[in-house]
Amino acid sequence: MSLWRDIRGTILPFWVTLRYLFRRPVTVCYPERKQIPAPRYRGRLILTRDPDGEERCVACHLCSAACPVDCISMQAAEREDGRRYAAWFRINFSRCIFCGLCTEACPTLALQMTAEYELATRELLQVVCEKEELLIDGCGKNDQYNFYRLAGIGVAAPRGSNPGESPPVDIRSNLP
Amino acid sequence: MNDVLLTFILIVIKLGLVLGTVLSLAAYMVLAERKILGRMQMRHGPNRVGPFGLLQPLADLIKLLCKEDLIPERADRWVFMLAPAISTITALLAFAVIPFAAPLHLFGRTIPMVICDLNVGLLYLLALSSLAVYGVALGGWASQSKYSLLGGLRAMAQMISYELAMGLAIVPVVMSSQSFSLTAIIAAQQTLPNAIRHPLAFLIFVIAIMAESKRTPFDMPEAENELVAGFHTEYSGMRFGMFFVGEYLNLIVLGAMLTVLFLGGWHGPLLPSVCWFLIKVLGVAFFFIWVRGTMPRLRYDQLMAFGWKILVPLGLLNILVTAAWLLWRG
Amino acid sequence: MPTLIIDNQTVTVPEGTNVLEAAKRLGIEIPHFCYHEALGSVGACRLCAVEFREGPVKGIQMSCMTPAKDGMVVDTGSAEVLAYRAQVIEWLMTNHPHDCPVCDEGGECQLQDMTVAGGHGIRRYTGPKRTYQNQNLGPFIVHEMNRCIQCYRCVRTYQDYCGGTDFGVLGSRQRLYFGRFSDGPLESPFAGNLVDVCPTGVLTDKTYRFKSRVWDLQEAPSICPHCSLGCAVTPGARYRQLQRRRARLNNQTNGHFICDRGRFGYGYANHPDRPRYPLVGHRRVTWQEALAAMQSKLQELGELFGSGSIGLLTSSRATLETQFLTKRWAAALGSDQLCFEAHPRRDFASRVAASQQLDRSASLEDVRNCDLAVLIGADPLSEAPMLALALRQAARRGARIVIVDPRPVVLPVAFERHAVSVDKFSQLLRGLGRPQQGDFSSSMEELGGSLANALLAAQRPLLIGGTDLLGPQGTQALQHAAKACSQPEKPCRTMFMLTGPNSFGGALLSANGPGFDSLMEGMEQGRIKALLCFEADPLADYPDRKRSRAALARLDMLAVFDCAATATVQESDFFFPTTTVEESVGTLINNEGRMQTFEQVFSAGTPLAESASGSHPPRFFTRDIPGSEPQSAWGILSALMGRSADLDALRREIEKNDHRFAGLSQLKANGEGRRIAIPSQHPESLPLNIASSIGSDQLQLLVTETLYGSELLSSLSPCLQELIPAPFVTVHPQDATRFKLEEGKKVLLGTPMGDLTLTLRIEGDMVPGVAIVPRLRGTVLEPLVPGTESLPCRIEKV
Repeated sequence: MSLWRDIRGTILPFWVTLRYLFRRPVTVCYPERKQIPAPRYRGRLILTRDPDGEERCVACHLCSAACPVDCISMQAAEREDGRRYAAWFRINFSRCIFCGLCTEACPTLALQMTAEYELATRELLQVVCEKEELLIDGCGKNDQYNFYRLAGIGVAAPRGSNPGESPPVDIRSNLP
Repeated sequence: MNDVLLTFILIVIKLGLVLGTVLSLAAYMVLAERKILGRMQMRHGPNRVGPFGLLQPLADLIKLLCKEDLIPERADRWVFMLAPAISTITALLAFAVIPFAAPLHLFGRTIPMVICDLNVGLLYLLALSSLAVYGVALGGWASQSKYSLLGGLRAMAQMISYELAMGLAIVPVVMSSQSFSLTAIIAAQQTLPNAIRHPLAFLIFVIAIMAESKRTPFDMPEAENELVAGFHTEYSGMRFGMFFVGEYLNLIVLGAMLTVLFLGGWHGPLLPSVCWFLIKVLGVAFFFIWVRGTMPRLRYDQLMAFGWKILVPLGLLNILVTAAWLLWRG
Repeated sequence: MPTLIIDNQTVTVPEGTNVLEAAKRLGIEIPHFCYHEALGSVGACRLCAVEFREGPVKGIQMSCMTPAKDGMVVDTGSAEVLAYRAQVIEWLMTNHPHDCPVCDEGGECQLQDMTVAGGHGIRRYTGPKRTYQNQNLGPFIVHEMNRCIQCYRCVRTYQDYCGGTDFGVLGSRQRLYFGRFSDGPLESPFAGNLVDVCPTGVLTDKTYRFKSRVWDLQEAPSICPHCSLGCAVTPGARYRQLQRRRARLNNQTNGHFICDRGRFGYGYANHPDRPRYPLVGHRRVTWQEALAAMQSKLQELGELFGSGSIGLLTSSRATLETQFLTKRWAAALGSDQLCFEAHPRRDFASRVAASQQLDRSASLEDVRNCDLAVLIGADPLSEAPMLALALRQAARRGARIVIVDPRPVVLPVAFERHAVSVDKFSQLLRGLGRPQQGDFSSSMEELGGSLANALLAAQRPLLIGGTDLLGPQGTQALQHAAKACSQPEKPCRTMFMLTGPNSFGGALLSANGPGFDSLMEGMEQGRIKALLCFEADPLADYPDRKRSRAALARLDMLAVFDCAATATVQESDFFFPTTTVEESVGTLINNEGRMQTFEQVFSAGTPLAESASGSHPPRFFTRDIPGSEPQSAWGILSALMGRSADLDALRREIEKNDHRFAGLSQLKANGEGRRIAIPSQHPESLPLNIASSIGSDQLQLLVTETLYGSELLSSLSPCLQELIPAPFVTVHPQDATRFKLEEGKKVLLGTPMGDLTLTLRIEGDMVPGVAIVPRLRGTVLEPLVPGTESLPCRIEKV
């Protein structure tokens, strides 16, 4: 019986491949027909703004730390009001493997992935994107979160006036 | 004098025809393989160059010609350069003895549709297929690369093993047709192809030539996931192209051999003989591609065990039985 | 010696060791915030709780507050303990802001580590978070009180360890506030240590603010090059920019802490004016061209004037490797005109200091453990700040500190003070060298004698000398005094503050070689035609600038190898950029004779922040790193001598060549270094002490080192620049009335180097008859160099 099974197992696949030969291919002829990716497709990265219209990125370096191929680099700087922001922010898409770990690491929801996947170019420097090319005028997938209002260090609004904060302590007072 | 000249001109014409047909066939065999495999895997296959990708072979040729010809620093230079040529030339030379159509009667002359009708044509074929091993083995050795060397070694071992089975499978055919001449062998199959007369020999021969052509499921010498690309890992440009073309030429040669030895050669009803020959060769080629699209690769020890422990004893047994039968029939 | 069992392992520890330290000996790290090896236990954070199963105490106790006792069985990770710690973390996190992304501590934050390790992810407490207003704490420290977890480490460091008084804890209960009474810069010169001790991001480095994350920094064990103590530091660099320095633990030298000059003096490596290209006649050329041009010029001069016409000079900034190879090259050139310090008096003082029996020289750890320290002519806070901190630790353990100095010396601890002018030092030292003898001819000798008796009576006596004020003769006399005050079982140790980080190495190598005075004479007489300066600045360091300028102008060739734009670099015919300490490897020998190696932190190059144009780094591909030309001085010397730049081979050669450096090739940069065992021979002749006569209408001019602005490299650091005071002169109130001068007014100081207009300060705590000016580089005071013989000066109102 085992020999019969072996012969069957050898012959049957030929029938399978022969049948498939006459099936319609599942692949799509790309430039003529473009597939619409899923909303959570991991394509080109963008930097978003918070609901107040300020840059969300605080240049905390978590994305570059999470990045397995080291394609993100940045330099943090301080604005006059104490706000930390990215003086420059660069993603080298020629290195990027679109794994999305950076967006998972991003604590301020600044870095988000879009469904745009047509990044190929003959000019290598075109895929080395600076902050100006990455920053969009919108909140991206979340239009609520504003890191600086929740951080608790009084940058977006004075100390004590953000949600969940008590007014600043009067250190001169000895009252119980 | 005139006769000799005419014969010479005829040979040149035949040479040109065969060479042109076989080379373009080999080129399109590549395309056909990619297309068929693609469709078997529900893909389109090459469809960018020309209508239905028909100019793909040309594009490939241009690409291969334009690519840089890399020779590894520590390679054995001359052997490295020679090896691909050996593998292509042996495949091409094999066509010299293959009769591809019925003899043509023209202006009172009988023109044999074979470039050279050797009376030991079969031995010539066997000799050439053995020589082909050199291309692979030398290429693998000369590259100075572990992958190449292993690929070359595997190819050698595999081809020597299966050549034996192949030779044994041919013996019954020779016995029944009582000649080494391929024309005679074809003539002997006018009524009944050898495939039906010697089914076991046919089966052994099919398996052996599959192994001989280093194709799936016997593509151990270039097993991609173990050896990168086996014996031709270090080759690039047209040298790689020659190995590549040699492989597909081999496919056609072996298809032609199978056709001549077992499938009745150019014999067939209605259609002209050359068409029958082409149909049979292409059919065999399609079968090979089909096998590639269906079967996984064997393990190396399975390959050797199958060759030596099953095919060779079976082949010997087959010879004995056939001999006894022929003796009994007188 | 109690023996206890921690996590099923037995350990025996000295009496008084706490359980946390005992566990550390077994390699078990009990998490903690408030405990610090240097600061001790207070039990404020409650995180180091462990469970005591057997022994004198039972149940959950703080391991830092519990001394190890016999029979204790401790479990550091029982379920109950882990739950307790998780609870503590959750409490600490109720008020901690959610601002890790914008906090500079992120990545090296103990609170962050403990929160993640303890598994506290979601804040369950929904009440409001406490907030504070921050203070401006000056140019070094950023204050963010919202992040505070009340561990008290900052107060204990600042007040207890460093002796600062202007930073403390205010408020009560939930409202504890760690800061100053009002905004203002922190006064202690050790304030930077607050950055290292704070377990969260309340106190962070302002100069490093938002520059990098710790995981992006290139770090390596290094040595602070800003004074002769050789404190262990860990510099951090990123994008070719040196961004910060942290203290590194070396129990023999600095311990856990460093001074602010060391911490914030790193900016010289990134200085925009730093010369980064080889220059021939102020024209930028390639290395090959420059070296070839210099070689051919040297050969030409050698053929014309003989090999003696080439002078070589290194300095205390140069590594041992550089100094050694300079010596080798001098030998190869056939020149004996080699000197290791451009300041002859300091040079010979170092040579004398290096010639004493080195088992008697004291490390900073010895200073911390002494019970009597007598400092003569030493102002630790200005010359070697970490010595002041070490003296404070000694005083905290009950040591008596005596300072004999003409200057208004300040220490972060109470001490005994004797204002004695420099010319009385010889009398004092004579008395100090003759303990237990009554026949003193002056009150100074008597003071010396009484101090000597005190030293004899002390258990761990220590004599500390400042070589600038003592000079070679004084240094020698102090050594004799130390010998006289020693008893076989308790030697009186000595420590000398030297010129620079490798003065000792230069002193060992120079032996009886010429001083720079003799090279100067050679240059003036035209014998020396070429001078090669390896990381040396003879123009600024030779006491008489007019003379050195004239002498250098007579040279046919001046080649300078340096990493900073010094005055000599401006005059050079050939200039070769060298690397800084952080950009190369090498060995420095500190003032006690401790060989310490340092590793390369980063490769030299123009910082990205400087070379970047517009809003992003350059957008082009290049193989060349801008500004990466600087090479280590010993590497250049190797190339000049046609040797391979193999550091290990070089160190083995130094060892083989000079057995005093035994063990050099085995040194690890992150270790404690290795004390040189064999002293160098005493210099045969010392330069004579020529005291110039001071007229009755004149004052004695005393130039001194000061904390910020005197040392070359740190004076180039931008963040220390604003702390460099405006040029001033300090006089005694008596002299102020004599010359009718007023505090804060401009005065004219007539010195041999020219007339200077300075601001007057009046200080009662100094000797009369002296005008004290600090050495301030880059100001009108630049030509005045400390460590000279006393000079006369006039002072008058403008």
